[in-house]
This record gives sequence, C-alpha cells and structure tokens, in this order.
Amino acid sequence: MKKIVGWLVIVFLLTVPTVRAAELSVGTVKTVKGTVSLFRNNQILPIHEGDKIFKDDGLRTGRESSLGMVFKDDTLLSLGPNSEIIVKEFLFSPGEGKLSWVARLVKGTAACLTGIIAKLSPQSVRFETPVAHVGIRGTRFAAQVQEDKEGGHENQ
Amino acid sequence: MKTNRLLMAVLLFLFSLNACCVIGKNLFVLLPDPDGRTGKIRVFNQGGDRLLTEPRQATEVKDTLTIPSPPMVMDEAEIEFLFGVALAAQPEPPLHYLLYFQEGATLLTEDSQKLIPEILAEVSARRITEVAIVGHTDRIGSQEENFKLGFNRARTVKDLLIGRGVNEQILEVVSHGEDNPLIHTPDEVAEPRNRRVEIILR
Repeated sequence: MKKIVGWLVIVFLLTVPTVRAAELSVGTVKTVKGTVSLFRNNQILPIHEGDKIFKDDGLRTGRESSLGMVFKDDTLLSLGPNSEIIVKEFLFSPGEGKLSWVARLVKGTAACLTGIIAKLSPQSVRFETPVAHVGIRGTRFAAQVQEDKEGGHENQ
Repeated sequence: MKTNRLLMAVLLFLFSLNACCVIGKNLFVLLPDPDGRTGKIRVFNQGGDRLLTEPRQATEVKDTLTIPSPPMVMDEAEIEFLFGVALAAQPEPPLHYLLYFQEGATLLTEDSQKLIPEILAEVSARRITEVAIVGHTDRIGSQEENFKLGFNRARTVKDLLIGRGVNEQILEVVSHGEDNPLIHTPDEVAEPRNRRVEIILR
C-alpha cells in the first residue's frame, strides 16, 4: 500500500508541472530585438523567442529594443523601445464562457491587435495605462505612456 | 510637402515631450485592422470617456481626473514616428486549421489527411514557436467518454506531427470534448463538423 502511495506521489509530481505549464501559459514570445527582460515572481529573467508567457508577467524592453507576443486567443501585442507592460489577467475557456484579457502599459509604446476574446466578449478586454483605460471592440490600436519624471517608475 | 509634414510631426512631438515632463501624458490611437476595416475603442477615466471610431483617430490623456482630449486624426508619418518600432514588432496572426475525423474514431477523414503537408510546410516556414492541438467531439456518447475521445484525437494528430519531424517541445494537446461545438446540437446527435481537431500555429 505504502509503495502504491509513494508511486502515486511520484506520478503526481511528474505530471503536475507539465499540466500547469500547458494550462496556465497565456501566450508565447514571437519576436525579440535588443534587450528584453521578463519580471516573474520578483525575479528578472532573460527572454527568448518561443518562451511562454504567464499571467502576472511583466515584460520590459531596453533602448533600441522591441518585443512581439501572441496570446492563446490570437491577440497580438508588441512593445517599442523603453517600454514595460504587465499581463494582469488572461482567461480563455470559450466552452465555459470564461474570458478575460487585461494588460497594463506602464511606460513606453505598445501596439495591439485584439483576438478571439474581443470578438466573443468585448467587455472582457481592457487595456490600461496609468491615467486611462481602453475598452476595445475587435480592432488594432497603439498607445504611448510618457514617463512621469516626478513619479518615476510605477509599482504594480 | 511630405518632409514639411514630417518636420511638423517631429516638432509637435518634441513640443509634447517638453510639455510632458511634469506629468506623463498618455496617447491612444485607433488603427485600421490588417483587413482594412476599423473597429472602435473607448478611452475612459474618472474624467469621462471618448469613443474613437475613425482610422488614425487619437486622444490624449493628461491625468486620471481629466477627460481624454477630443479625438483628432493623426498623420501617418507621426504614427510611424511614435509607433513604428512597436508596429514592426507585431507578429503575424496565428494560422488555424481544422482536421475532421470519422465517427467515434481517431481516424482522420481523407480530405483532412491531405492538409497535413501544408501544415508541416507552414510550421517550418513561419518559425512557429507553439502548436496548439485541440480535440473536439460531437455529442454521441457521454461527456466523459467524449473528453477522452477528444484527447485521443488530439494525441493522434500530435503523434502524426512528431512522426513527420515536428519538435515535440512546441506541441500542446488539449481536449474540449463535446463542450465546445462548432455546430450546436441536442445530446446524442451525430454531427461530423464537430468531430474535429483544431490546430493553431502560433
């Protein structure tokens, strides 16, 4: 009996991380130019083409750098130089009606072409900046957040 | 003429930079979709809201309490100047394929088998970094059985792609069973169009 429980624990440990990765990643990095870093769980990590993106990830580009991402619902999001964005919410289970896409541009420039979530449930899509929110009906737009010299970097 | 406009755009931008340095301004621009149509965005804060509906319409926001500025159409050169790098970094939209199956089975229909070479060609041509394989079924059989059948259909496609040289690491298998039909039917109704695996190349 003990042996079986032991095996079950091992099987559990082996399967859980892969299942988690498959279920929770919200998209993937498609284009990286220059210096791009990822903020995840208070760590700064390098990022490469093909890397997975998860909810709550922060992505930052340096000088003369850019980044392009594809979300699971086909939303395309890209950043220009000296930019930072946080993936605040992402739910994509059309079968269960669970849909949500929220991103916050902290600084710099971003371009976005919305995907399936915006088509199925426009009210579930929100693009935020420090001073305004954008509600979207299936479309492409760009946003710029100029840095506030007084306030400096915004803490999320 | 064009140079003049560009110069104006640059000057305007420098001017706005100058004005911004006390408070960081935010700018929002509506752009036409790749298919040429233009959607709508609503920019709002505690001060009020603005609806942008025309291509290249823009609004500027000073702070959380001030209503976004009245929409103004931006010059293409100005958009390129501000957003050119971000727009150029935008990846290509993902490609979607549907493969159909014979009833109650994990066997692909003949027509769907013919699609495989095209899918393989795109995977290498586009430097695809993620392939989602989503299995679906019709409503013949129990929900639980169909979840398994959907999964087995997706696994069949996964094995087929691996067999043709696709890197296993980029493949992701999911089953939606009978819960996410293309065609809505009552329970226990056979519907070939729901017996499918969706492949998304990202």
